[in-house]
Amino acid sequence: MTGRILVVEDEEHLARGLKFNLEAEGYKTEVAGDGEAALDLLLEQRAAFDVLVLDVMLPGKDGFTVATELRQANHYIPVLMLTARGRPADVLKGFAAGADDYLPKPFDLNILLARIQSLLRRREWSRVLVNDPPSESRLAEPRSADVLREFDVYAFSGKQVDFGTLELRANGKIFRLTLMEAELLRHLIRNSGKIVSRKQILEEVWGLHEDTDTRAIDNFIVRLRKYIEKDPTKPQHLLTARGVGYRFLPKPAG
Amino acid sequence: MRITSRKRTIAFAVTLGVLVAAVALALNISWIVLNWREVVPLFLGVLFFGFIIAGVILNTIFLVREVRRNEQQDSFLNAVTHELKTPITSIRLYLETLQQRQLDEAQRREFYQVMLQDTQRLMGTVEQVLRAARVTQKDATLHRSEIDVGPLIQDAVELARSRHHLPAGAMTWELDGKPAEQLSVTGDREELSAVLSNVLDNAVKYSPKDPHIRVDVVTPDLEHVQIKVQDNGIGIPTGELKRVFKRFYRVLSPATQQVKGSGLGLFIVRAITRRHGGRTWVESEGAGKGTTVTIELPRYQS
Repeated sequence: MTGRILVVEDEEHLARGLKFNLEAEGYKTEVAGDGEAALDLLLEQRAAFDVLVLDVMLPGKDGFTVATELRQANHYIPVLMLTARGRPADVLKGFAAGADDYLPKPFDLNILLARIQSLLRRREWSRVLVNDPPSESRLAEPRSADVLREFDVYAFSGKQVDFGTLELRANGKIFRLTLMEAELLRHLIRNSGKIVSRKQILEEVWGLHEDTDTRAIDNFIVRLRKYIEKDPTKPQHLLTARGVGYRFLPKPAG
Repeated sequence: MRITSRKRTIAFAVTLGVLVAAVALALNISWIVLNWREVVPLFLGVLFFGFIIAGVILNTIFLVREVRRNEQQDSFLNAVTHELKTPITSIRLYLETLQQRQLDEAQRREFYQVMLQDTQRLMGTVEQVLRAARVTQKDATLHRSEIDVGPLIQDAVELARSRHHLPAGAMTWELDGKPAEQLSVTGDREELSAVLSNVLDNAVKYSPKDPHIRVDVVTPDLEHVQIKVQDNGIGIPTGELKRVFKRFYRVLSPATQQVKGSGLGLFIVRAITRRHGGRTWVESEGAGKGTTVTIELPRYQS
C-alpha cells in the first residue's frame, strides 16, 4: 500500500527515525517540526497527505490544538497521535480533539507501522464507499450513483479534479479538497455553462431546504477560486452571476 | 484549560477565606459594640476573634500555596516524563530499525551515534533530578578544593557550545584582566560545573536561534568572585525575578511555552551556590531584553 505521510515531531532523532522507517516501507514521508508548520502545510498550502502522525508535546501549538484546528477547518485526514502522555485522561483528550488513533511512547515499531497501515486501509475502503455506495438510499436521491460515477476524474484547461481522492491539480500544485468543496465543484461542473442559483446549490449540494443564509456558499467559492484561478480576483472559470448564483466555465472566459 | 481550572481553584479558596475573615471581623466589631462597657469579656473576645481571623488568613495562604505547588509538581512530572520517554523511544526505534532492516555500514554508524546521544541525554535528565534531590540534603558532603575559575568556565563554555552546536562567536568568556592565579574559588568542582552548565543551558534555551552569550568574571572585592552570564534572550518579567529559583517554578508565557524544561535548573544553581557560601541572582530589563545571571562565590583564601 502506498501513501503520503506527514510526521509532526519536534524531536529531531525521532523524526529522522520515523521518516527512515516509513520511507523504507514505501511511504512518501515529510516531517514538520511544529504544529504551526503542519497546519500551514495542510490548511494553507493544502498539501496532500493520507495520514498525519502527530506528536502531542510540541513547542507552541500542541498536538491536541493541531488536531482540533484541523477538524474545525473540515480537514479530515486520519490522525495518529503519538505521545509520551499515556494516562487515560490524555488518551480521551486526544480522541476528543479528533484523533483517529493514539499510541503512547515508547512504541513498538511494528505496531506503529500496522496502525498507519490500518488508517490507510480504512481510507481506501471509505473511498470505495463514496464512489460506489452499497445502500439503496443514495440511489433514491437526485444524485444517483450513476451521476456520481459520471466522472471520477475531470480535467479542464490544464487542471484536474479527482473526485475519488478529493485532489485537485492546478497551476502545478496538488490541493486537497474537503468533501463539501468537492461536492460543490462537482455540482457546478455538472451544470457547466449554466447559471446555478445559490438556493439550488444549498438544496442540491447541502441538502438544505430552509431559508439558510446563502452567503455561506460564497466562502466555499472563494476557496475554490484560490485553488483554480490564476488570479482569484479576476475569475476565469468560477464566475459570479450577480444577484443569482454562480457559473462554471471549463474554458477560460473572455 | 489547565490554567483556567487552576485559577478557579485558587479563586474559590481565596473567596472563601476572605468571606470567612470578613464574617469574623464583623462579629468582632459587633462584639466590641455590645460589650464595650465590660472590660474582661471585651478583651478576651477581641483576642479570640483575632486568633480566628489570623487562622483563617493563614489557612487561605497555605491553601493557595499548596494548590500552586501541586500544579508545579504536575507540570514537572509531565516535563520529566517527556524528557525520560523521548530518548528511550528514540533508542528503541533505532534498535528495532537495526534489528529489522538491511542497512549499510554508514547508516548503521549514524544510528549508533544517534543512540549514544540519546543515552547521554537520558543520563543528563537522571543526573539533574538526582542532583535536585541531593542538594536539599543537609548532610551531603562537598569535596572542597581550590578551583581555578578560568579553566572551569572554559570547560563549561566548550561543553555547552558543543551540546547546542553553537559557533564559537555565540558564546564568549572573559576574565577580569587579573592574573589567573588570583581568580580561584573554594568549592566542589563537579557541583560548580553543574551550576555553570545549568546557567549556560538556560541562556541558550531562552534565547533566539542566534544567541549571543557572554560570560564575565568580576571581582567586586577581595573576598568574592562573581561569574556573570549574560544572554540576549526573552528576559524575565520583574515580578518573576525571585520566583524563578523556586523548585519546579517556570514562568508562564507564550515564549516559555516553546521551551521544554523541568523547573529544576535555577533551583539547583541556587542550592549549590548557597552550600558554597555564595549567592545567585538574576537581572533582566524585562521581557525580550535578555537576562544576566550572577553567581557569587567566596574567593579561595590560602
